[in-house]
Amino acid sequence: MATERYSFSLTTFSPSGKLVQIEYALAAVAAGAPAVGIKAKDGVVLATEKKHKSILVEEHSIIKVEVVTDHIGMVYSGMGPDYRLLVRQARRVAQQYYRTYLEPIPTTQLVQRLAAIMQEYTQSGGVRPFGVSLLICGWDTDRPYLFQCDPSGAYFPWKATAMGKNFINGKTFLEKRYNEDLELDDAVHTAILTLKESFEGQMSSDNIEIGICNAKGFRRLTPAEVQDYLANIA
Amino acid sequence: MALESLHGVERYQHKWNEVQEEAALPEIGNFTNQYQLMMPPLPKAECQVGEYLVDETGRKMKLNYAHGTTTLGFKFKGGAVLAVDSRATSGQYIGSGNVRKIIEISPYLLGTMAGGAADCTYWNRVLAKQCRIYELRNRERISVAAASKLLANMVYQYKGYGLSMGVMVAGWDKKGAGLYYVDSDGNRMPGNVFSVGSGSLYAYGVLDSGYRWDMTDEEAYELGRRAIYHATHRDAYSGGIVRVYHIKEGGWVRISEQDSKDLHYAYAEGKTTTQ
Amino acid sequence: MQSRMVELETRNQDPQGDHGPQERNYILSLHDVLMKKSILNYNGGCVVAMKGKNCVAIACDLRFGVQAQTISTDFKRVFELGPHLYIGLPGLATDTQTVLQRLQFRIKMYEMREGRRLKPHTLMAMMQNLLYERRFGPYFVEPVIAGLDPNTKEPYICALDLIGCACEPADFVVSGTCSESLYGMCETTWQEDMEPEDLFECISQSLVNAFDRDALSGWGAVVHIIEQDKVTTRTLKCRQD
Repeated sequence: MATERYSFSLTTFSPSGKLVQIEYALAAVAAGAPAVGIKAKDGVVLATEKKHKSILVEEHSIIKVEVVTDHIGMVYSGMGPDYRLLVRQARRVAQQYYRTYLEPIPTTQLVQRLAAIMQEYTQSGGVRPFGVSLLICGWDTDRPYLFQCDPSGAYFPWKATAMGKNFINGKTFLEKRYNEDLELDDAVHTAILTLKESFEGQMSSDNIEIGICNAKGFRRLTPAEVQDYLANIA
Repeated sequence: MALESLHGVERYQHKWNEVQEEAALPEIGNFTNQYQLMMPPLPKAECQVGEYLVDETGRKMKLNYAHGTTTLGFKFKGGAVLAVDSRATSGQYIGSGNVRKIIEISPYLLGTMAGGAADCTYWNRVLAKQCRIYELRNRERISVAAASKLLANMVYQYKGYGLSMGVMVAGWDKKGAGLYYVDSDGNRMPGNVFSVGSGSLYAYGVLDSGYRWDMTDEEAYELGRRAIYHATHRDAYSGGIVRVYHIKEGGWVRISEQDSKDLHYAYAEGKTTTQ
Repeated sequence: MQSRMVELETRNQDPQGDHGPQERNYILSLHDVLMKKSILNYNGGCVVAMKGKNCVAIACDLRFGVQAQTISTDFKRVFELGPHLYIGLPGLATDTQTVLQRLQFRIKMYEMREGRRLKPHTLMAMMQNLLYERRFGPYFVEPVIAGLDPNTKEPYICALDLIGCACEPADFVVSGTCSESLYGMCETTWQEDMEPEDLFECISQSLVNAFDRDALSGWGAVVHIIEQDKVTTRTLKCRQD
């Protein structure tokens, strides 16, 4: 019985020095839909799988790749409702920064502040950690940025990474395919191929979502654009 | 009419018209009789002209009174010395940097200006005329005591009407050098050392510590000059040119007129400036 | 100083809803309220900044007084906040110091947090927030910012009023007790694309001739010429009255 205490009280360490709730949160992430992010020379791409429970779902009304501010976007693996709360917070943080300094928030700043919020949920009473990992991409002045943000509040800068279901395979695939001189178009292809590694069934513009970020800012690709990329691969 | 009301003179104008209707006043000219200034058509307590002038935002406007000033005068073995600055301000704005604040009433009489510039110049001018008339009638120069009393009596007539002046009358008569302080409140007093104006406290500081009766002329000039210089330095409303006059048996002599900027850097180098 | 209108509204709080004259509007100019107490003029002092070709200049007088009395003549009211970033804080001297200290705190926190230098435009935004936080009990300073953008090297000047309304003109900004005279001088002496030497001459003449007409400022001046590769600071020999 005694050991079970640690698993219920978020703010109590287990004797081995772990906060098990955070580990469970990571497990929730690992069970979530895959998400991929790749940095190219001239931009970043985010891609994710968007499988639906039923064929009756109106596909394009469900959105996973979100715009935070003009030049920053993000996607997640894990629990959708938790993600939406973080999107709200991210947008708030970005606007607040802009109002304070009258300049767009640097991606690193947004990531730091978002990570601080996620950390707070690992140390407060009456709450649970977020069941999501975030992939945040942005473009500041002259270069692209790609970050992963975990439920613990830890964050990592990546050249390319994968999260969610089968993320180990995804990462191995990326390690083989990644190179520094990638153009954004190539990066989109690589991202789709990475998703394809573990994709069950037919990939279409209805069940994947892609966002790109470059000097012009962040935007989600339209289903038609996604279709074009898929056609090129096939 | 539109312009006056825009400037807030309407009320004044209105009452003035009323008075004119009640009794057609004869043309009064202070050109022929300087003592007959036109009275404001208002009770005495309300006749501060400043009360009627408002600026474009409707705030009451201060008249261009040169309240900021430093003047000083003292008697010593060798006669009397007057020294003054030359700054005229309206509010914090410096209207002029080379005003003559020592008024040459006659070859034997000087007056200094502090307070309202117009009041001082006007009444000193009237005083100059009276002194000259006295001289012609009596075939001798007027005494400093008499001249200062003329002035004091003149401004006393207008006590309460808002005249603003603090004047020193200095000169040479049968009794030697004379120095009187006269102001628009009606004060008149003889003395050895006076300083008047916003910078007078600073001038007194230098004056009192350096004053001796048996100074040489040069020492006296330098004391007056230094006192005014220090006042121009400390007092925001004093500055410009330091003018020094000496009154001795043969009448007054202009000793020096130096820019306080030159004085400052000369004093900074440790030099005492003699002309 | 930009004059701002404050509208105070008092309502008749009668619950019966009396239909008499319920509302009264008092229009006060904040400018009036402040100038009457003349808190901004209490200590005297002025600042001016100008743009040149690939350079900016900022200059101030050195008087610290209490109304008519000159207390000291080496009171600097322009401060270095970074390699190419300066701020002038004319106004009430105690607020000059407080605002500077609070600003330095915020800038240090910003630069540590973000690991980069502060841009002049960002400083302006910080100033706006710092000042507007005290909207109903303002700091009596009207700051002037001058600097070069650390990335683009673009010249930047701006002036704010005491509650943080910024103004970013293309030529020059003035602030302090002789701002009217400064406007007059700058308006006639400023030219486009001045080289650093010409800019120095222009800003110095403007400042000195302006404050020589003002009883509450002067007594010496400091001029900073900010260029890409160097900053030149000169003290001017001035009238001392």
